[in-house]
Amino acid sequence: MTDVRFPQLSKEQPDAEGVLATWFVSDGDQVARGQLLGEVTVEKVSGEVLAPAAGRVRLLVAEDQTARQGVVIARVE
Amino acid sequence: MDDKTRLELYRVMVLSRTYEEAILREYHADKKPAFDIRAGLVPGEMHLSAGQEPAAAGVCAHLRRDDAVTATHRPHHIAIAHGVDLGKMTAEIFGRETGLGRGRGGHMHLFDPQTHFSCSGIVAEGLPPATGQAFAFQRQGSGRVAVAFTGEGAANQGAFHESLNLAALWKLPVVVVIEDNEWAISVSREASTAVSSNADRAAAYGIPGRRIEDNDVEAVYAAAGDAVARARAGEGPALIEVHTVRLWGHFEGDAQGYRPDLADVPGRDPIPAYQARLAEAGILGADLARGIKEEAAARVEKAIEFAKSSPVPAPQTALEHVFA
Amino acid sequence: MSVTESTSAPTGATVRRLSTARAMVEGISQEMERDAGVVVLGEDVAKYGGIFSSTTGLLDKFGPERVIDTPISETAFIGLGVGAAVEGMRPIVELMFADFFGVAMDQIYNHMAKIHFESGGNVRVPMVLMTATGAGYSDAAQHSQCLWGTFAHLPGMKVVVPSNPADAKGLMISAIRDDNPVVYMFHKGIMGLPWMAKNARSIAPVPEEPYETPIGKASAAREGGDATVVTVSLSVHHALDVADQMSAEHGVELEVIDLRSLVPLDREAVLTSVAKTGRLLVVDEDYQSFGLSGEIAATVAETDPGMLRAPVRRVAVPDVPIPYARSLESAVLPTRERIKAAARDLVGA
Repeated sequence: MTDVRFPQLSKEQPDAEGVLATWFVSDGDQVARGQLLGEVTVEKVSGEVLAPAAGRVRLLVAEDQTARQGVVIARVE
Repeated sequence: MDDKTRLELYRVMVLSRTYEEAILREYHADKKPAFDIRAGLVPGEMHLSAGQEPAAAGVCAHLRRDDAVTATHRPHHIAIAHGVDLGKMTAEIFGRETGLGRGRGGHMHLFDPQTHFSCSGIVAEGLPPATGQAFAFQRQGSGRVAVAFTGEGAANQGAFHESLNLAALWKLPVVVVIEDNEWAISVSREASTAVSSNADRAAAYGIPGRRIEDNDVEAVYAAAGDAVARARAGEGPALIEVHTVRLWGHFEGDAQGYRPDLADVPGRDPIPAYQARLAEAGILGADLARGIKEEAAARVEKAIEFAKSSPVPAPQTALEHVFA
Repeated sequence: MSVTESTSAPTGATVRRLSTARAMVEGISQEMERDAGVVVLGEDVAKYGGIFSSTTGLLDKFGPERVIDTPISETAFIGLGVGAAVEGMRPIVELMFADFFGVAMDQIYNHMAKIHFESGGNVRVPMVLMTATGAGYSDAAQHSQCLWGTFAHLPGMKVVVPSNPADAKGLMISAIRDDNPVVYMFHKGIMGLPWMAKNARSIAPVPEEPYETPIGKASAAREGGDATVVTVSLSVHHALDVADQMSAEHGVELEVIDLRSLVPLDREAVLTSVAKTGRLLVVDEDYQSFGLSGEIAATVAETDPGMLRAPVRRVAVPDVPIPYARSLESAVLPTRERIKAAARDLVGA
């Protein structure tokens, strides 16, 4: 099982909160390694969330929910 | 300048003038007694270039068939100087199926892919596509150039300024040639333009600008040589303004009541002046001059014959060629 | 009439979903890989990636020679696209907002659209003019228009308006490959941008390989027998939402036709559907008068008005500049509420 973390987009504020803007996959989907899972934003900068491994993805944070950079937002089983 | 080049310039100007005189004749032949623009074999507007031959001849002498030329609503002299097929051009002017545009474009919309020649009836709007052709040539690394002809009135249009800025910024191989014939229809250059010479406007874009006085074909040739060489070498665009003369009206049917100098105009004809100059230099005798004139007349009449004997496009085909 | 392609993956296989913006970019990217003559020009298309994310990532992939920021000179750079296309390239030029066409319309409708015809078919202009359209986020009168009716009205340019990610990619590829000028109009509200109102249908499966979605063919976004809703762009999403409600609440089944292209217009698809249902509702976020909705109504009326069991209904922007205040903007846009009211009225529910 592999953790998927909220990307570090802001170097100035490593603990800043951002938003889980878009999930491109649904909870329970099979994903490939490197697949685009979602899009996050911190302030106005957006970043991509890619699958670190292949497997079934479990989403831990809902769309439009805030989350701190670095926290686990999904898992790939 | 060598004699051969000088005679060639003269020959091109004579061919162009002979052509315009023939079109003038054909255009008015069946529009009498009162001028009816809809009537005759060549209906619609007609903008003839008598007097402006030096700009076309002097610039196009430096161009190859695969260099691009864009012209305006007054395109014939430029098309001729650049080598557009005379028969197909004439057939297009006469609205025939054998014309450059199968009769769809007419005299202001002549397109010849063989010589990369095009023209547009919207003032200054031929410049942006010319920059695009130059853009393509630059990427191909072929040394080809695009030359955009325009008028002194067009130099006040947004497209002119945008195009020069973009061409200068990207160092596009485009040469802009302004034919300053002093009149934008009935409005004089002094009454429309904030600066006394559009060549000065080149400085606003950081490019060279040169103004040629006296409708001097050899001075045009020299300036164009520099500008075209510069563009071919990848050094970017240049602006040339040729002070020329519009011997006839803006369009045929223009009485030119607004033109105070009208009586002086015929005296400014550049062709007899150049003929005299070459005769004095001993390279253009009376026989040769007559021979050149006769050859031009023969070519022109042949083109007109071809046009007149060509079929008119069938009405059922009116919707064709909208999309490829 | 064809049904929109969708990726149906067997259980356990990877389902690849993209936003409309990413799908569009993928289409451009795959064509740029295939054909060196494809370049992208426009304002803020390079490093910024397009202000509505229409070119995100292309600069990194293809470099500044092929993804090019232009000065604010629409006449010049759209005309440059025309000239480059004439000389054999396949430029994609972005007009940042469709509302900006005014400053460059001559190059668009008198040059890009007419050169092929004026040359008797001898000169081709294989260019894509892509542009952002649409309202709903308070950008007011000069930045919220759709205007596809204006472009569609003028001969010589194809006009495509995708509503969803799969069509966005397929239509972009078709547009680039087409030898004609194609105006590609994408609604900002369907792009799936994180900073705009999210729309569930803006994220959807998109096939990974390059493919063409046919220009000139509508698709049935939803089949039904009680009334035909003809629409395009973001309004497809709203119409589908309304259709779900009408089905659940009133047992009424709406058929939703997503035109996808305005030029060429798939009149066949409209007529086939209306012949079946007898009732027509046109939903168009462009201005009501003298545009798309009238064209659809005329198509039916001049073929066989007898196929209509009720007068045609139109839900469009009512000939007013798009207002700024949210309450006013939502009063003029073709919202779900307006669509539903019109649909209920049309079927008598």
